[in-house]
Amino acid sequence: MFEIPKLEVRKIAAMPRRGVFALAMTAVLAVGMMAGSAARAQTVPSSQAIDFITKAGNQLVAVINQGADSPARRQALQAIVNRDVDISGVAKFCLGRFWRTATPAQQQDYVNVFHAVMMRSLTANLGDYQGVTFTVGQTLPRSDGGVAVQTVLTRPNNAPNNVQWVVINVGGALKVGDVIVEGTSMKLTKRNEYASYLQNNGNDLNALIAALKAQSAGS
Amino acid sequence: MPGEARRWFLPTLMSVLLAGAFFLTGCATKPTDPDDLAAYNEADDPAEPTNRVIYKINDTLDTYAMRPLAEGYRAITPQHLVREPIHRLLVNAESPVLFGNDLLQGKPRRAAATFWRFVVNSTLGLGGLFDVAAKAGVKAHDADFGETLALWGVPDGPFVELPVYGPSNPRDAIGRCVDFAMDPLTWIGNGAAYTDARWVRGGVTGLDQRERMLDTMDAIKKTSLDPYATIRSLYRQNRDSSIDALRGHDDP
Repeated sequence: MFEIPKLEVRKIAAMPRRGVFALAMTAVLAVGMMAGSAARAQTVPSSQAIDFITKAGNQLVAVINQGADSPARRQALQAIVNRDVDISGVAKFCLGRFWRTATPAQQQDYVNVFHAVMMRSLTANLGDYQGVTFTVGQTLPRSDGGVAVQTVLTRPNNAPNNVQWVVINVGGALKVGDVIVEGTSMKLTKRNEYASYLQNNGNDLNALIAALKAQSAGS
Repeated sequence: MPGEARRWFLPTLMSVLLAGAFFLTGCATKPTDPDDLAAYNEADDPAEPTNRVIYKINDTLDTYAMRPLAEGYRAITPQHLVREPIHRLLVNAESPVLFGNDLLQGKPRRAAATFWRFVVNSTLGLGGLFDVAAKAGVKAHDADFGETLALWGVPDGPFVELPVYGPSNPRDAIGRCVDFAMDPLTWIGNGAAYTDARWVRGGVTGLDQRERMLDTMDAIKKTSLDPYATIRSLYRQNRDSSIDALRGHDDP
C-alpha cells in the first residue's frame, strides 16, 4: 500500500516544537559583545553548574513572564544573555575555519550581526514561552571540561522538552556554551548551516555577513 | 493496481529511487583543499547535488500541499479532544513493529512494556485513544529498524534525501522498508475495504506527523540561511543521540 507522504522522518518529529527550538537556538546564539574569550577547558564542578543554571533560568523565566514585549523587557533579556552566554566562543565556533582567515574587521562585523540576528529572534519567540517552568535534573561531564545540565522545560499545552545546557568556565566565569535540545546541539547545527551557506557562496565570508544583516533587518 | 502489487509498491519505489540517487545522478566532486575536504567529510553528503534537487521537490510539495493540509487540520480540530487521541491511536497501531524491534534489539523489558501497553491501551484505552498505560507508569518509547540495524553495527552511511519522506540515510531508509513489512496491518485483510482503510491510515499518519512538525519547520525556514543543511544536521544529530541513548539503555 502506498502511504501518504510524510515530509519528515519519525525521529525528526521527535524534535522540539517551535518554541523550544527557537528559544534554544537563539539562547545559544544570542551573542552579545563579549570581547576576547579567555582560556578554555577548565573543569566545572557539577554543583556549581546546577546553581548557575537554576539562577539564570529563574531570571529568564521571570523576564519571560513579565508580559508583553517592551524595551525594558528586551534590556533585561539582553543583560542575562550577555552575562551568562559565552558569546564570542559560540560565534567563533559557528564560523568554524572561516574565523581564522577572517580579517579583524570581518570578525567584528560578523559578531555584531550575529548578536543582532539572535536577539531579534529571541525576542520574537519569547511570547510562546508564557507560563514556562523548568526542572533541573542530572549533570553529565563533558570531554571539554564543561558540564551538561539536564533540564525539562514544560509549557502549558505542550509536551515537555529535554534540554541540556552546557556550562563551561570562561576565564573564571561560568557561561552557557551550548544548548542541546532533544540530542541536537544548537551551535553545531548553526555551524553546519553556515558552512553549507559559505560552501555554496564561494566561501565568501562577506556574503554570509550580508545574509545575516538581511536577516537581522527582518527580510 | 491489484492489492498484492500495491503492497510492494512503496518499498519497491523507495529502493528504486534510492538506487537512482546513488548511482545514476550527479555526485559532488571531492574538493582537494584540505579545509574544504574536511568540511566535505563532515557533511558526509556525496550525493548533495541530487539530494538538493529532491529536497526542492519535497519542499515545493510541502509548501503547496502538505503544509496547508496540516494547517487546515490544526485549524479545524481541537488539540486535546481530537488530535492527541488520533495521534495516540496511530502510535498504538504501530505497537507490533515496536515490539518486534524491541526484541531484535535485545531489550526484553522494553518488549514486555510494549506488549503490556498495547494490550492495556487497546482495551481500556479504547483502541489507543487514551494512553492508560502511561498513566499507570509504563511510558511510551520509540524503536525502529534503523536503530536496530545501528545496534547491530550497521553504519548509517551518507546522507540521503528521500523523495517525499525527507532526510534519511541508507540504513534508516532500509529500516523504514523493514518496519513497513513488519507491520501486520500491511498484510492483514483482503479487499477494497482493507485497502481503503490502509489509505486512510497512511493519510492520517502523514497529516498527524506534519501537523506536529508545523512549528519546528516554520522556525527552521525562518531562521536558517540554508534549511537543507540545517535539517541534514538536525536529522543526523537526533538519530545519533537516540542510538547512543539506546546503547546506554540497560535492559538485560
